[in-house]
Amino acid sequence: MDKVVACQTCGLVQEVDDVPFGAVVKCARCNFQILHRRVGSRARTLAFTIAAGILYFPSNLYPLITAEYQGQYAQTTVLKGIQTLWGMGQYFIACLVFCTSILTPALKILGLLFITLTLHWPRYQKTRAWMYKVIRVIDPWNMLEVFLLAIGVSMVEMGEVATVHPGRGVFSFAAVVVLTLLATLTFDPRLLWDTPKKRYE
Amino acid sequence: MNEERRSDMRMEARKSQKNGMNDTVHHLPKAKIQKDPLAWFFWALPVAAAMLCAWFILHDFVFAGPTITIYFQDAQGLQEQNSMLRYRGIRVGNVTSLKLARDGQMVVVRVKLEHSAANIARQGSLFWIVRPQLKLGEVSGLQTIVSGSYIAVQPGDGVRTNVFTAIAEAPIVPVPGITITLLANNLDSLENQSGIFYRGVQVGEVTGLQLGQNSRFVVVQARIRQEYAPLVRDNSEFWNAGGINAHVGLFSGLQISAESAATLVSGGIAFATPENYGAAATNGTVFSLNEKPDPKWQNWNPAIPLGQTPQASKTNNAMPQISPQINQMNQ
Repeated sequence: MDKVVACQTCGLVQEVDDVPFGAVVKCARCNFQILHRRVGSRARTLAFTIAAGILYFPSNLYPLITAEYQGQYAQTTVLKGIQTLWGMGQYFIACLVFCTSILTPALKILGLLFITLTLHWPRYQKTRAWMYKVIRVIDPWNMLEVFLLAIGVSMVEMGEVATVHPGRGVFSFAAVVVLTLLATLTFDPRLLWDTPKKRYE
Repeated sequence: MNEERRSDMRMEARKSQKNGMNDTVHHLPKAKIQKDPLAWFFWALPVAAAMLCAWFILHDFVFAGPTITIYFQDAQGLQEQNSMLRYRGIRVGNVTSLKLARDGQMVVVRVKLEHSAANIARQGSLFWIVRPQLKLGEVSGLQTIVSGSYIAVQPGDGVRTNVFTAIAEAPIVPVPGITITLLANNLDSLENQSGIFYRGVQVGEVTGLQLGQNSRFVVVQARIRQEYAPLVRDNSEFWNAGGINAHVGLFSGLQISAESAATLVSGGIAFATPENYGAAATNGTVFSLNEKPDPKWQNWNPAIPLGQTPQASKTNNAMPQISPQINQMNQ
């Protein structure tokens, strides 16, 4: 006998044994799922983070948009866009775009990887907590919405003169943001202060 | 909720009393533990991401067309990353880099071909740059004013190769027909690609102009299109139809005539064939080019059956050849 949990649906107080991975707990009376902790938090966060890490590369290497005007092609990757902004003398905006679209996703992915991979180590517990704090702080700066909005606006505005196709980069980019979002959502911060002895997945 | 819970507790209490125990909390129901078949499902996400990346890499490096190198004398109008290689009006490649050759005499243009256009990288392919051109009587490449110059290609059919030397101008597409030679005293307004007219219909064009061997004549090479070749006979008369013919008469007033609007600017040659026409002209038949038409030539009105419209136009590279019909006539 390990834990006593009340069902969130019908309120029945019941015992829950150790839950092996890949299993769910169902209420003895109402058969609804009982969540003591978020289910498979660590594994899911890891899966989302790995997927985001893989897609991070195409999102930065491939063009976000391809504009075609009378047979002339112009392709823009994130880095090229930042270069152009810098060249135009918009240093602040260039830095902002760099931070929000290149730096923060990378930090987030690396941080989540570090937390999930070293979760069961007795060492680095403080570092993991600090890392989680950092991720929570930079999360709102991961402002893809603004970037996508800019692309959307240019697509609509330039639609009159030029044909604008979304490139491979923009889909990867959107996927990275959604995946990192899901990764932080599925991560259960209580895992951070579980001592290695009593770990609940 | 509260009532339910209370009744639960009561139930449990009763149960435990039956069991003869005083503590009500000890006999809680056990939650069921079930296998979750979808527990591994989210691992499909990283797998899908990896597969997507693999597809990108495969698409870019394995299924990509070859990169070819073209040497240009002059790459004016080309832009890195931007200029296209076009064939039959569509994009089949992109210019990836422009560099000066090591000796400074040539421009090295690298073009990445589309996968579907890999067959262009064969020996004998001709590359040239299409720029806007404004000549008397001819405007070409107008679209390149807006879109920028592009490289055009006429594919060859030799062995595969990746290095080419470009040609300066578009090759003249050989039109099936017969080539005749005209000797003129003076070139007047004639120039390359001036038209040859029969009753005002263009039936051919001038393909070459040069001075004769002893400089007494201008030698004009002209090509008559295959379908109109039977119109040219041994005794046909040619005259220079360029410019304006002005005639002032006492009763008729001022008469101005020109063969066509095109001949006004680029010059032209007209010809007529008498009713008792001779044998059909063949490749290399020589005529003299008169400066003015004899009025009676213009009244000639022979009935000459034209050859069939040539099917040869389908085969682009067909060299001028004499159709069997004309051969029969010669015999």
